[in-house]
Amino acid sequence: MAMTKSQRQLNFSIFRYLVLTFWLFIVAFPIFWMVGTSFKPDIEWFAWPPVYITENGTLQNYLVVWADASEYSESVHTQSLQRPWEALGNSTLISLISTTLAVLFGSVLAYGVSRYQILSEGRMFQLLMLRMVPPIVLIAPISIWYRALDLLDSVPGLVMLYFITTLPYAVWMSKSFIDEVPREMEQAAEILGASKWQTIWEVVLPLVRSGLVATFLFILILTWSEYLMALLLSKTNVVTLPIELSKYQGSTEGRVYGRQAALSVGITLPLILVGIIIRKHLVRGFSFGMVRR
Amino acid sequence: MSQIELKNLRKEFGSLVAVNNLNLTIEDGEFIVFVGPSGCGKTTTLRMIAGFEDPTSGDITIDGKVVNELEPRDRDLGMVFQSHALFPHKNVADNIAFGLRMKKVKQDEQARKVKEVSELVRITHLLGKMPGQCSGGESQRIALARTLVTEPSNFLLDEPLSSLDAKLRRELRAECDRLHDELQKTFIYVTHDQEEAMTLADRIVVMNQGKIVQMGSPLEIYGDPVSYFVADFFGNPAMNLVEGEFVSGDSGLQFKSPQFTIPLPSKYSQKQPGKGTLGIRPENVTIGATDAAASINREVELVEPLGKDTLLYFETGAERPFVAVIEGTQSVERHANVDVGFPDDAIFLFDETGARIR
Repeated sequence: MAMTKSQRQLNFSIFRYLVLTFWLFIVAFPIFWMVGTSFKPDIEWFAWPPVYITENGTLQNYLVVWADASEYSESVHTQSLQRPWEALGNSTLISLISTTLAVLFGSVLAYGVSRYQILSEGRMFQLLMLRMVPPIVLIAPISIWYRALDLLDSVPGLVMLYFITTLPYAVWMSKSFIDEVPREMEQAAEILGASKWQTIWEVVLPLVRSGLVATFLFILILTWSEYLMALLLSKTNVVTLPIELSKYQGSTEGRVYGRQAALSVGITLPLILVGIIIRKHLVRGFSFGMVRR
Repeated sequence: MSQIELKNLRKEFGSLVAVNNLNLTIEDGEFIVFVGPSGCGKTTTLRMIAGFEDPTSGDITIDGKVVNELEPRDRDLGMVFQSHALFPHKNVADNIAFGLRMKKVKQDEQARKVKEVSELVRITHLLGKMPGQCSGGESQRIALARTLVTEPSNFLLDEPLSSLDAKLRRELRAECDRLHDELQKTFIYVTHDQEEAMTLADRIVVMNQGKIVQMGSPLEIYGDPVSYFVADFFGNPAMNLVEGEFVSGDSGLQFKSPQFTIPLPSKYSQKQPGKGTLGIRPENVTIGATDAAASINREVELVEPLGKDTLLYFETGAERPFVAVIEGTQSVERHANVDVGFPDDAIFLFDETGARIR
């Protein structure tokens, strides 16, 4: 028997919700497990059957990681090298500076590409292709250069590296937002008496602001969580959060999952906070259609 | 006083010649309309006057001064764009005040002028709104106000009404006309709509393929087209154009199409035979008893009553049906056979190249 139209619509929406719910579980489970584990005492980290929601919640993991209330304080352990606050500081400094530079230079470049075709289509594509090169193959040459320039294991070294490697994204993303601003709008401002700078400041910038904020967050996330290049180009002086995370494992005690989880929560929270602060811009920025014609 | 002169103006985009050696003088206070099909160079010409495109060669002078090197904002122009180009992040009042702010007009003076101009185009009730909350017609009025408030000597309007629906278009067309009357400033208006051109212009400049084809008052253009192109472009319904041949007959030159042959008026008797086109405006075709020298008997294919007028369609083997306009009060049945008359003074002839045969 054939279904009626309303039945079909109902079935389809049930199907849609099932698929999306399934997807939500897949996406959200690791986050749930991370947060859950961070509150578990050590015997529950590996327990079988797994403990989904602990009944013995503890802040011990957080205290050990972030407040250095080490329960091993008397014994020999591997955690003496761990400096999470310093790593947080480094990560914050490096990501903010390199992301700001990338978005600043990227958007200026993108404006030139969008309005004055300073780069051809082919050049723009090549710029993006730079990102297709596996980072690992770049590390050796960069190491040599950095050694010569004395940039290894330094904050400026990582800032420069992240700035250069994220610049293509910044150009591409901000260009898509600048392209959205009709040229006629700029010309209208010009013929009404605005100078080029006034036009950019009064007309272009307000219209692409949301897009630039979205670009900023996107690149911030990339930089904030970058592991490979930081691992190979820094050693002991400059440690970022992803590197710090890898230190919470050792030959004697194995992986200390609870501590890692507590640190992971600390790594994730700042990004979520930034996201909440700028959410107004994100919705408009990521929808790519913020200019009403 | 402000006179705009275009001298040997030429614009190339790569190998494409968009505007080809244009010469034109636009008098102070004139309402001039550039009209032509898309790609004819009319918008490029306007954008060169505005300063958004640099001419490949030739000069643009305003008041005798060459302005080629001047920035758009230094040319004493105002421009209204097809897309309105309102700033979506500023409210209507700020949009209108923008030009005054850029010219560093005092705050209280700004407020006074914004109020004045919004009364002129009747949008005072919109001042607090955002452009996104305004309709297409309202947006166009705001765009006009934003330009008017800076009091330029010349207004450039680039298809300002083409994004609006027919009723609004008529309304704003009248508005443009009224503004021009009140302000007595030069209006340079670009459109592809022949009706807009006819109703608004003091002088029409018909362009095609980067060149001026004909210039003149609306009635000159309509009544005395220089070519097939102009004849075809102006008028609604369009002029009937039947392709055929001019041949010598017993009593002078005749027009012979695959479906009919008519004698041509005696003033053409000395012209050379050859291929060509016969044109006649639908309102000049006579139906029924006629004293026209030339007439054919034809079956009415379709009757389209429009109220005041009725359109009759005939089959003549041409691409488009042959149309005649009669008074709405006359009644003609579909499939009736009627006499279709071609009065002498209503006949236009064009040669093979499209040039008018006079």
